[in-house]
Amino acid sequence: MKDAARERSPRRIATAVFITVVAMLAVVVGVWSYTEFGIGEPAAVLVFVLFAVLHVILPDAVVEGRVRVSLSGVILLAGQAVVGPAGVAIVGLAVGAPQGRHVPLRNRVYNAAQCSLHGAAGGIAFLLVGGTTDPARLQDVGDIVVHLALPLLVADVAQALTNLVAIVAVLRVAEGVPMRPQALTMLRGTGFAYIAHGVIAFIMVVLWTLGDLGPYAAVIVLVPLIVAQWVYRQRAEELTGQQRALEVLVAALEAKAPRLAGHSARVAELSAHMAEHLGLGPQQVAETRVAGMLHDLGQTSLPTRTARSIDLTDEAAVLDYPARGAEILHDLSFLDGALDPIRRHREALGTDRQLSLPARIVGVADSFDLLTSVGPPDGHLLAPTQARELLARRTPDGEILRALDHALMRSGQSVRR
Amino acid sequence: MRPMIRRPQGVARSVVLLLGALAVLRGLLAAGWELPTLLTTHGDTLLVVVACVALGELARIRMPSGRETAPLSSAAALSAVFLGPVFGEPRFDVQAGLVVLVVAAGLLLAAGYRALRHRPAGAPVLAARVVGVAVAALVTRDWGAPTLWQTQVDPTVPRAAVALGMVLVATVGLLTEIVLVAAVRAERQRTPWSAAVRDEVGEAAPLTVAVVVTGPMVALMAPVLGLLSLPLALFPLAMAYTAVRQYIRNRATNRQLIATLSHLTEHGGYTPVHHAERVAQLSLRIGRVLGLSERTLRDLEYAALLHDLGQISLLDPIPDGATVLAAPADQRSIAAEGGRIIRRAEIFEDVADYVEDQTVPYRMVRELGEDVPMASRIIKCANAYDDLTGGSADPALVEAAIERIHLGLGYEYDPDVVDALTRIVEDGAVGRVGEQRAGAR
Repeated sequence: MKDAARERSPRRIATAVFITVVAMLAVVVGVWSYTEFGIGEPAAVLVFVLFAVLHVILPDAVVEGRVRVSLSGVILLAGQAVVGPAGVAIVGLAVGAPQGRHVPLRNRVYNAAQCSLHGAAGGIAFLLVGGTTDPARLQDVGDIVVHLALPLLVADVAQALTNLVAIVAVLRVAEGVPMRPQALTMLRGTGFAYIAHGVIAFIMVVLWTLGDLGPYAAVIVLVPLIVAQWVYRQRAEELTGQQRALEVLVAALEAKAPRLAGHSARVAELSAHMAEHLGLGPQQVAETRVAGMLHDLGQTSLPTRTARSIDLTDEAAVLDYPARGAEILHDLSFLDGALDPIRRHREALGTDRQLSLPARIVGVADSFDLLTSVGPPDGHLLAPTQARELLARRTPDGEILRALDHALMRSGQSVRR
Repeated sequence: MRPMIRRPQGVARSVVLLLGALAVLRGLLAAGWELPTLLTTHGDTLLVVVACVALGELARIRMPSGRETAPLSSAAALSAVFLGPVFGEPRFDVQAGLVVLVVAAGLLLAAGYRALRHRPAGAPVLAARVVGVAVAALVTRDWGAPTLWQTQVDPTVPRAAVALGMVLVATVGLLTEIVLVAAVRAERQRTPWSAAVRDEVGEAAPLTVAVVVTGPMVALMAPVLGLLSLPLALFPLAMAYTAVRQYIRNRATNRQLIATLSHLTEHGGYTPVHHAERVAQLSLRIGRVLGLSERTLRDLEYAALLHDLGQISLLDPIPDGATVLAAPADQRSIAAEGGRIIRRAEIFEDVADYVEDQTVPYRMVRELGEDVPMASRIIKCANAYDDLTGGSADPALVEAAIERIHLGLGYEYDPDVVDALTRIVEDGAVGRVGEQRAGAR
């Protein structure tokens, strides 16, 4: 019943229509390319399809939200000069369809259609600016630049833009993600990778056709690419390691003061949501989150009995652990931006207007969670509304409090308690 | 008389330097008279190759194991080995010896630049590269009839076969270089040879694979694209290189983060300042002498840094944080608490295991066959040594500590570990010198 209702929602219908239109467009463009430009050698097309399928085993390396190396990007681009737009349209289907695991059929259809479409778009652009699908006939370096290198560059840009539009559009239709910021994020994330793909695709075409290596060119050229991909995956692992090591810091704190169990994680989440609501950039949001997570770390340097008995809800108490926390972390350059909020978060409810926004955010998030979930040593907790009123009396900072309300709503806390 | 097990100082280093010098000398003797022709006819080619070799050498990277490698330089050097027809330039038809001289010139340039900046040139590594290139050049240009080089200018031979031949020769050349470097490093760190070669090949493998395809790429593109093909073909490798650099940076950050964790007990006054760092350094050196793998060494280092983390929740600190003097039950509960905290990060399972098992006496291994990881046995021993000496290099303290550890030999401590520790304490260079020469006399 519920599913059926969702099935009929306008967004679902719009998405289905959009996918159908893109799929039909892909078919039309593919067929038109075939009748207009023909297709390269079937054997070559087959080889490209094989490499496209290899892409399933070696998915693009994405580190910190950026595509670093993409096998499929190189394959689609190199294909332009070897098998032409119609051939690349077919290769695109093979690149798009198998992407990801446990992907619903309609998404697969869309991926296949849009890969095919942006491949063909690149191919058409390549031919329009004088690119050749028979590079073997090119005589000298000048010819190669005019009829191969530059057209590949144009095709690269065309492919990237079509891909961008297709992804931004489907996210807008299916999930309501605003188009402009999404497009900017993607451009920032992939800009360099596309240039690299252009160069590698060019090398592959030169070796394939002019160097007379045929499909073996792909083997030779893709080796360094696969290596880079492998290393980036290692690196992603190290980045996870970093996140996990930060969690160990929190675990050490919670071993020291068991009543703080879960406090750090909650403050981190609240702080991040508040920072987002207040319009801080991604970097600052991340720093505020880390600061929220590690704001109590200094307590690990207190004697265990003290750490277990101090009344953190007492705003008047002068405590030196925030400074100790910042001191412990000051060697870690990647945490530089989090040090100030860690050091000064307990001043957030004071009158100092110079205090940085992240410090105020972490301070208020911390106070709220202390009042509602941790409490003074006698364990007396306040209801969220009471805590909210108490904070409103203590700080005149309406902006921060509104951000807190918003963050609480987002994490469903106000409903839960 | 020298003990049989200890290799005399610097033999491998001298041998590698000698081989490098011989390769250059042979080049001079066999092809020196061609040098003027080289300078006049192949001026541009020479310039590009020398520049790429030198710049690649200056862009060296230090791998997590401390191994230095210059993939861009190796790849550029191997490209010169295969180079034949070059569009817009005379065919690079020169003797193998001449290729060696060209590469050596590039390396010399880089070494000169380093010397000007007062940085070590790493002569054995450069010599190893020259030897590797010499081997590859001889095989390519002098060996067999027709030689591999001749087949590339013979249009009847399929290009794929030529490319395959080049990849194989490049692999041989590069492996020569890697094995020689491993030999030098093994000697310097007193690591077993087998372990050094295994690490060297294993750690370098991904970049090695990318390097060996670059030479053939250049040689096969040069007839069409000319000298442009060298920088162009280095581009994909540069991508892999950049990836490795970033990976190494992340490794360093993580190491720093773990070190911060180890400072928590120091800031709280539970453990003496720098104790964890010293135990980690010592454990690493013991681990190297015992030939542990790179991956295990990393986890060993992390575990050694965190071995006292469990003290953080103690209500009453133990005197000087010296667990070796604490009651066995307390030692175990501290280790268990440390393990529990570390286990919060799922990916540090091994590290948590090492920390938990650091208190198990060796006799449990010997008598009950308990499976105690080597890393834990190392930490146990290194920790005891540092607790007993307090990090001091005072000969009297060192001797007393070693004596006390020897009393627990076989019962408390693993004899192999104690043996390695003894060697390290006797010789500050064993297992690679850290910042301080622990107990060197």
